[in-house]
Amino acid sequence: MTTTTTATRDSSGLRLFSWFLAKRLVQAAVVIAIVSVIVFLLLQALPGGPARGILGQQATAAQIAAFNHEQGFDLPLVQQYFNYVGQWLQGDLGRSFVMNTEVSSVIIQRLPKTLILALAAVGGALLVSIPLGMAQALRRNKAFDYVMTGLNFIVYSTPSFFLGLLLIMFFTQLLGWLPASAPQGDTVAEILSQPKEMVLPVLTSGLAGVATFSRYMRSSTIDNLHEDYVRTARAKGTPMNKVISRHVLRNSLTPVVTMLGYYLPVMFGGALVVEQLFNYPGMGLLFWNAAQTSDFPVLLGCVLVISVATVIGSLLADITQFILDPRARGGVK
Amino acid sequence: MSTTAIAENHPVPALKFENLVVDFKTKNGTVNAVRGVSFSVARGEVLAVVGESGSGKTITSLTAMALLPSTARTSGVVEVDGHDVLNASESDMGSKRGNVVSMVFQEPMTALNPSMKVGKQVAEAILNHRGVSKTEALKRAVALLEKVGIPDPVVKARNYPHQLSGGQRQRVVIAIALACEPTLIIADEPTTALDVTVQAEILELLRNLVQQTNTALLLITHNMGVVADLSDRVAVMNAGKIVETGTTVQVLTAPTQPYTQALLAAVPTLPEAKWDTVIAEERARISCPEDAVKESTTVAPVLDMRGVCVDYTSGGRKLRAVDTADLKINPGEIVGLVGESGSGKSTLGRAPLGLVPVTGGSITLFGGNVLKASTREIRTLRSRIGIIFQDPGGSLDPRMIVGDSIAEPLVMHGINGKRPSRSVRETRVAELLEAVRLPATNARRYPHELSGGQRQRIGLARALALAPELLIADEPTSALDVSVQDEVLTLLLELQNEHGFGCLFISHDLAVVHSVSQRVTVMQSGKVIESGETSRVLQLPEASYTRHLLASVPSPNPLLQRQRREARLALLSSKDS
Repeated sequence: MTTTTTATRDSSGLRLFSWFLAKRLVQAAVVIAIVSVIVFLLLQALPGGPARGILGQQATAAQIAAFNHEQGFDLPLVQQYFNYVGQWLQGDLGRSFVMNTEVSSVIIQRLPKTLILALAAVGGALLVSIPLGMAQALRRNKAFDYVMTGLNFIVYSTPSFFLGLLLIMFFTQLLGWLPASAPQGDTVAEILSQPKEMVLPVLTSGLAGVATFSRYMRSSTIDNLHEDYVRTARAKGTPMNKVISRHVLRNSLTPVVTMLGYYLPVMFGGALVVEQLFNYPGMGLLFWNAAQTSDFPVLLGCVLVISVATVIGSLLADITQFILDPRARGGVK
Repeated sequence: MSTTAIAENHPVPALKFENLVVDFKTKNGTVNAVRGVSFSVARGEVLAVVGESGSGKTITSLTAMALLPSTARTSGVVEVDGHDVLNASESDMGSKRGNVVSMVFQEPMTALNPSMKVGKQVAEAILNHRGVSKTEALKRAVALLEKVGIPDPVVKARNYPHQLSGGQRQRVVIAIALACEPTLIIADEPTTALDVTVQAEILELLRNLVQQTNTALLLITHNMGVVADLSDRVAVMNAGKIVETGTTVQVLTAPTQPYTQALLAAVPTLPEAKWDTVIAEERARISCPEDAVKESTTVAPVLDMRGVCVDYTSGGRKLRAVDTADLKINPGEIVGLVGESGSGKSTLGRAPLGLVPVTGGSITLFGGNVLKASTREIRTLRSRIGIIFQDPGGSLDPRMIVGDSIAEPLVMHGINGKRPSRSVRETRVAELLEAVRLPATNARRYPHELSGGQRQRIGLARALALAPELLIADEPTSALDVSVQDEVLTLLLELQNEHGFGCLFISHDLAVVHSVSQRVTVMQSGKVIESGETSRVLQLPEASYTRHLLASVPSPNPLLQRQRREARLALLSSKDS
């Protein structure tokens, strides 16, 4: 069936999709532009400006003025903003005050590592939470459901730094199964060669996702189980397990997928804590260290990258929803 | 369709109930939903089970599919094609469902999986019971879609449900039910959610299918017209019991039980229209000057809409919901506004309230120009209009006692420009409750504590709070059972008589409009098709659409319905030629 469908799929569907994508891309660009203004203004709002942060409390007014001139901080705000944007567009995020390297090269080195951590955590969370949420929905208000709901709430309401410490205590100190520090290294390959070291960081950032996603999956499955189409499917003689896998699963996934897009930035935020806790060399740790040392170009670069990731995340969620739910495609005849 | 002859050929009935009892265990004790029901349906026979909401008719039918919720407890005998249902295992029933017995549901909008192509949904039923390949199942699905009258079945099979119209979706549901040529089809309110012209098409389809395939059909409905149109025998249900059974002609024309008699008496009926086109047009021409004379002598109307256009914009596209419509309501007059879903009748009804984007024409309300009025003036004008909506449950705040809901217009608009004191409000609420024939103690109750009919009375009391000169009633009785509808309509007419307000009565139900209104306006796709005295429009319809609409309303009298059905088919064939 799929072959015939793809072969004869009418061009209107494709056109609709292109239009939808174009609209979303323009929206995304607008959002990123607004974010860039906010980030720029936040930088300006820092007490004493970046000069005081870099040169320290002892710096003289002349030194600060010289620094500001050198960095272009004495230009009018609008001009400064457009200078920044011009540089950003060329992939130039400035130089780190502290590390004496290009911000962009640091981020390019760090970003994949955080992405690996985030994808492993989210992927693992989905693999666990989708079946878990469905199982809870099917055993609604039974002992299994109550126990899992209770566990979910405990995990969900535990801050990740505390959860991480508990995991270290249990798996490292008590059982001695896993190391407490994350894999180290400059390249992605090096990180991937140390799977045992990855377990605790992934677990720490993934467990909250399991709690969140399985709640969503549970409630949307319960909603879908009460839909009329489930009754129709059963009246056809479709066994309950197939009703679940063929009909309920796909329709129940939509809210989880929507959630997923918004979860990506949450993962980046969580990385801040998890990476610091396990000393994992990703964006989170970079951001943390930059904040400690007032390394504003790095901070700015991180915020920019995270906001772009947020926008891309919700874009991906919209596209997936478009594919999953034919009604979202509009085009009612 | 001779029942006895068929019964001789097949000694085993398609469906047999013997002393069926269904109880539900709830927190508040046991609910006896079905209390000893016995009947059977033979192959090729259509048995209609009629009753009002809560009579247990749907529960009875779900028992035959073994699809009752797990809280149900059953006893008695249920046999489908000779197979015991109540003691059958789940896997055993799975092999029967969709194969020996299948079901058509009420809500075509939600009965299909929104994210699966309709062809695949039909094919699934075949794959469940026949050992064929997916390609073969899909091929058969397309053939079934064609059989149930879906145009362009190859293309439609690849569509998702939301791309089909309500009638087409119901045809898909019927195709699923037919897929494995079952012995018995259970159709639970198969046409209730559909427009009357679509209903007539679906009934025609079901009739032909039953005749061709010799399938037994158990029809569950509250609509006596549908019963008269389709069924051979009728079982009337009330409070979990069968009150009366017999042939359709017998039960609908000469009911013996008081309950059946009362139920039938509450059904609003349409007079027989003159279908003969030539005569109708001739007589319409004669009656037309009467209308004109009457119009010129009347006093200033409460509402006068001329050439009204309403445009909605969605996704950059303009959608004309109402197109140059005229409508006039004189003081003390009830004007019916009828049309099918999407005809623009509700939109036109909201135009005088300033609730829709009017883009053309003029609206004169109580002598004032609504379109040029300031927000403040519109507010004042609105205080002279009462509104009552379709869903009495949804239009009352569930967290507000009904007394406060009734008093809300008094608080919002004030009495003589002043916010009334609590005691004044309470007196007025008590008066209003008395006016709608409810005890004053009901003021302290919440909406969920009241029945549907009581809630609609509350809605009426709220609409009358400011003693309006115009009442706009949008499908006020569509959600109610016929007996309750009858009570609410009687009350509306009495109140109108006492208070003399003008009334715009919007409804899809021509018989209801016939029973309340003096004049009627018919709308189709945003345009006014026909307007005039109710008796003239409904008995001597001029426009072919009005004729088609009238012929589609099934009469609760089986003998008259046969004529009406033939008239409808004749109209359709004359349209084709």
